[in-house]
Amino acid sequence: MTADTPFTHIGQPLPRKEDRRFLTGKGRYLDDVTLPGALQVTFVRSPHAHARITGIDAEAARALPGVVGVFTGRDLAQWTAPLRLAPPIEGLHPVEMTTLPVDKVRFHGDPVAVVVARDRYTAEDAAELVEVEYDPLPCAADAETALAPGAPLVDDTLPDNLVSHQSFRAGDPRARRAEADRVVEARFNLHRHTHVPMETRGCLADWDAGRAHLTMHIGTQAPHPMRGQLAARLGISETQVTVISPDIGGGFGQKIALYREELTVAALSRHLGRPVRWREDRLENLTSASHARETQCVTRAAVRADGRILGLELELTEDFGAYCFYPANYMARVIAMILTGPYKISDYAFDVKVVLTNKCGNGPMRAPMAITSWVMEGTIDAVARELGLDPLQVRRINALRPEDLPFTMPTGEVLEDVTPLETLEAAVQAIDLPEFRARQAQARAEGRLLGLGLCTVVESTTYGSQFYKAAGIPGSGHEAAWVRIEPSGVVNASVGLMGSGQGYETPLAQAVAEGLGVTPDVVNVHMGHTDIAPYGMGSRGARGATAGGGTLYLCAQKAQARVLAIAADMLNLNDAQGLRLHNGQVERRLEDAWQATGVSLTDVARRAYLDPTALPEGIDPGLDVSLTYDPPAMTYSNSTHACEVEIDPATGRIRIDRYVVAEDCGTVLNPLVVKGQQQGAVAMGLSGALLEQVVYDENGQNQSATLADYLVATACELPDIEILPMHTPNRKTPAGIKGMAEGGIMGSIGVIAGAVNDALAPLEVTAEQMPLSPQRIRGLLRRAAHSDAGKAFSKSGTATDTIHGTPDNSDGRTNRA
Amino acid sequence: MSAPVPISLVVNGETHDLVVPPRKLLSDVLREDLHLTGTHVGCEHGVCGACTILIDGQPSRACLTYAVQMEGHELTTIEAVAEGDRLSPLQQALHEEHGLQCGFCTAGIVMTFEAYLRDNPQPGEAEIRDVLSGNLCRCTGYQNIVTAILKAADLMREGQGA
Amino acid sequence: MKPAPFTYHRPGSLNEALELMARYGPEAKPLGGGQSLGPMLNMRLARPAHLVDLNDMLEMDYIREVGDRIEIGGLTRHHRLATAPEVSRDLPLLAEAARTIGHYAIRQRGTLGGSLAHADPAAQLPLVAVTLGAEVVLRSTRGERDVPASDFLQSIMTVDLADDEIVTALRFPRQAEGEASAFELFSRRHGDFAIVSVALTLRQDAAGAVSSLRLGLGGVGPVPLRLRELEAEAVGSQIDEAAAARLGRSAAALITPEDHPEVPAAYRRELVETLVARALLRAAEQEGAAA
Repeated sequence: MTADTPFTHIGQPLPRKEDRRFLTGKGRYLDDVTLPGALQVTFVRSPHAHARITGIDAEAARALPGVVGVFTGRDLAQWTAPLRLAPPIEGLHPVEMTTLPVDKVRFHGDPVAVVVARDRYTAEDAAELVEVEYDPLPCAADAETALAPGAPLVDDTLPDNLVSHQSFRAGDPRARRAEADRVVEARFNLHRHTHVPMETRGCLADWDAGRAHLTMHIGTQAPHPMRGQLAARLGISETQVTVISPDIGGGFGQKIALYREELTVAALSRHLGRPVRWREDRLENLTSASHARETQCVTRAAVRADGRILGLELELTEDFGAYCFYPANYMARVIAMILTGPYKISDYAFDVKVVLTNKCGNGPMRAPMAITSWVMEGTIDAVARELGLDPLQVRRINALRPEDLPFTMPTGEVLEDVTPLETLEAAVQAIDLPEFRARQAQARAEGRLLGLGLCTVVESTTYGSQFYKAAGIPGSGHEAAWVRIEPSGVVNASVGLMGSGQGYETPLAQAVAEGLGVTPDVVNVHMGHTDIAPYGMGSRGARGATAGGGTLYLCAQKAQARVLAIAADMLNLNDAQGLRLHNGQVERRLEDAWQATGVSLTDVARRAYLDPTALPEGIDPGLDVSLTYDPPAMTYSNSTHACEVEIDPATGRIRIDRYVVAEDCGTVLNPLVVKGQQQGAVAMGLSGALLEQVVYDENGQNQSATLADYLVATACELPDIEILPMHTPNRKTPAGIKGMAEGGIMGSIGVIAGAVNDALAPLEVTAEQMPLSPQRIRGLLRRAAHSDAGKAFSKSGTATDTIHGTPDNSDGRTNRA
Repeated sequence: MSAPVPISLVVNGETHDLVVPPRKLLSDVLREDLHLTGTHVGCEHGVCGACTILIDGQPSRACLTYAVQMEGHELTTIEAVAEGDRLSPLQQALHEEHGLQCGFCTAGIVMTFEAYLRDNPQPGEAEIRDVLSGNLCRCTGYQNIVTAILKAADLMREGQGA
Repeated sequence: MKPAPFTYHRPGSLNEALELMARYGPEAKPLGGGQSLGPMLNMRLARPAHLVDLNDMLEMDYIREVGDRIEIGGLTRHHRLATAPEVSRDLPLLAEAARTIGHYAIRQRGTLGGSLAHADPAAQLPLVAVTLGAEVVLRSTRGERDVPASDFLQSIMTVDLADDEIVTALRFPRQAEGEASAFELFSRRHGDFAIVSVALTLRQDAAGAVSSLRLGLGGVGPVPLRLRELEAEAVGSQIDEAAAARLGRSAAALITPEDHPEVPAAYRRELVETLVARALLRAAEQEGAAA
């Protein structure tokens, strides 16, 4: 932080309030919440990818001692309403989903029955005894099969498996193609991921029959929308539902929707009149919670000989799985909307298809637009390769410069207060590009494969209501907060977000402290309880700082105004001009300096609560202030990632030798927390790009059902990242906050692909498919070995890197310990 | 017989008499029967490391152990690490270095390294990462955890407490 | 995931354990470290009616010299193999391999006997046992028998172990002084089971030519594979980069790995070629690598 910061508390790297309870084992996660007499459930799940359910015999299961009941889709259909998603968006088919499948199952892991028992062990014993008769159906195991004529229908109410199809055009990309010196085509296949929060899904439903009220304990990123969903599906009023989120062991987007299992548990509690709980096990989490990302992109760039992009076209196909918990266009849309990002492109068209397949359904996973920067930067790199130009020069010639801002992207998104060219230049300088190129040339002469990637990210965050309106997506982007100064002068506050590990408690207290004029330690921000917190839109899309922090900051400022009005009266002043609250003390500006007045916040609070007749006219008792705030339609932060890799030609192993991020995320509430978010996002992106993969075979059988198969990076696979903060404020948001936390995923996916392809450039092969596994890299090298370019590098079996089965012996990690 | 059997468990120095089914996992017994919920369950197949506790002072997966096996052994869980309000040097270092976010994997990491640093007071970064690779973290990217462990090792060697 | 019900037995002595195995035979599974069996039980992939806990058989946790062999008890933990000075001195290949097994916490519990009995085709200890020509000591109430490791390991997770038998020890010929060894493995992540692994011992004469080579591969078939043809081919060679590369290629040509959608056979062959060459070079460079 520079000395001339306008803020006292915002921007301080305060260590977190929640750490103590997490470090000492006193956190309170869902499974730590106990209710006497709670029953446990487990789900019977389909072993088939696609099959009609022809019979369910649960007699033996029900007879097992300790089993309270076994229920099916038919039971749930009586107790709950189906989910209907029919936003008025052209090209998007309405879809409906029963609470549990009744007629058929659509993916390997689809829940078909639920066992309720005294404990999970017994429930699993009983689940094995439930006999389900299936009539297997042919399955649409991938997007290509699903789109082929005559493909098996995943959703029988749709004419085919193309659940969403949108096109858009701005300018005349076709004309630009005709004018261009070259049309460069590039492909990008991002594979199927899943979120893998360390804590799986779960819930504890407590139906109070006397009050006809449901208390739902559930780790949810969006408590109020969850409440609304529960009420609607259970056919009860929103006044009859309370959602309480305990500490959450990670969400990453998987803990937003109301899934079938949680709704089933709530319905069971009501039906049985007892608390009912569920813990998803890891096999269920990997196969049956939600998946993400499986997207194929093709770009066509119409380019001039100097690398200037005249027009850009995008074709995108997303493999969405079998069920829509979100409107099917939701994730893909964001990618297409912001693709042009940091580049001055006005002629742009996209065609986006979303396809149903017999796999677990998709949901937003941290950075639903993850593929975006890989696609844009990869297109730039492809242009550079085909035209024989320096990829940095191609970036520069197309980059938006400060004088171009505000820039209206072809999709109508307005970019302002972003600095992508600045972060690019900073990253390039930090990585010392000329030095690298010299080393790379030397290495190539020795048969070694060094590569450098650059990836500039323009990250959309926050999403105001105008965004949803324009997109035709029901829902709002505003946020709500209240700030209440208690009689003793301490501050309770609340906002409609819920943290799942990102560490809201301290930065949000800092935002309140800043706006109000107190120290963060006297502020307690309450979140996650729908009876306490105001109606908010929850935590997703990196909106925590801007929407959450921004709303609290503004609300706290409003509270400060109220405090100062009372203080002015106490000081016999006509008005509050020249007064401020600072660290809990009222100060007055006299002779160009702030001076103590002797009046504290506690004094003001005592008067407001306990001596209201002494309050000035027009001021009501108490100090309880509410506020809602609607952020701009879109807020952007930006960064440039740069990384150096070396590929072992013999094994295909990628080693990351250096990783740098130059970032501008606006005003930062707490730099410690923001740094942690950036590290975590880059880690998740690299883990996905190098190691993770949900695999289905041709029969729709999930082959990655355990953590031994779905590989999440360990401490040995990830590099340390160097972060260069270059923050500039947004002029339209409270305190200049921009938000971040997803851009790291976009950048890491793009930069690692860029680095790998730079390393492979002399062999004239390109990696277009992820994950960038060693076997995939070897496959490319093998292919290249048959070319002239490849022969110089086809020395397999040389002792280039002696790797001993030590921490160096794994994908990704630098060996510079 | 798979019926519940009486066992006596010594956990954090205290003896508990319980009756548990033989197949009940130690992780479940700690959490449900002893209400020591600081040990978390992330996978039940030994991979994620969230459930790591100490058995006779050595880190082990509670999800791969049956409680009935533990009679005659000494178990240590996260709840025993801090002394009242005083965090251990490792806990304090994790706090200062922002080595945790959602906290779900944290107890497993603390238990692993309380034992490891006790036996290996001067680890290099490579050794730390080697041991840490047995604990999955989805939030932090491990960078700050490694920094914290190095810091804790320094503090412990210098004999400074929290 | 919770295991299916079982009856738990905790014998206090080896004889007691053997009695239980004799009584319950096919319905009983011995429980060692639990690091491999535990996940299988929790996922209900294994459902023995009886579990015989061997963890009190402290008499099976030992490392001792028996003539020119090193005998290691079946309950000896991986961590001990990885760190005991006598193992590093007398069976350095075993120590090196043990250090790569799983993770620190796993190694505190996992056992030698358990690893051999489990017979995962990618596991370190079965590979080392085959490469060093170890014998597996099996006991039951009917008596004791010794089986060469290469005969004991029959196929994927299939071993020559009768229903009433327990692996009580392994006997390894002590590695000779002046014999170098190297263990190499390739996995996607640190601590994962190997895609391919190589275990070798190497002796060179005064002129630096190979006088003997023992080389085993893991992960290329249902059981660890000793490449005796390659061992013979190597004798007399000076191990330099070219020779190592040549022997690597020969090794790759000697195997017929299965083609798997995630790991093509061609890739496995390439890994063998690379790892064999690297292991040979590393062993050749070890100090005192002379006959």
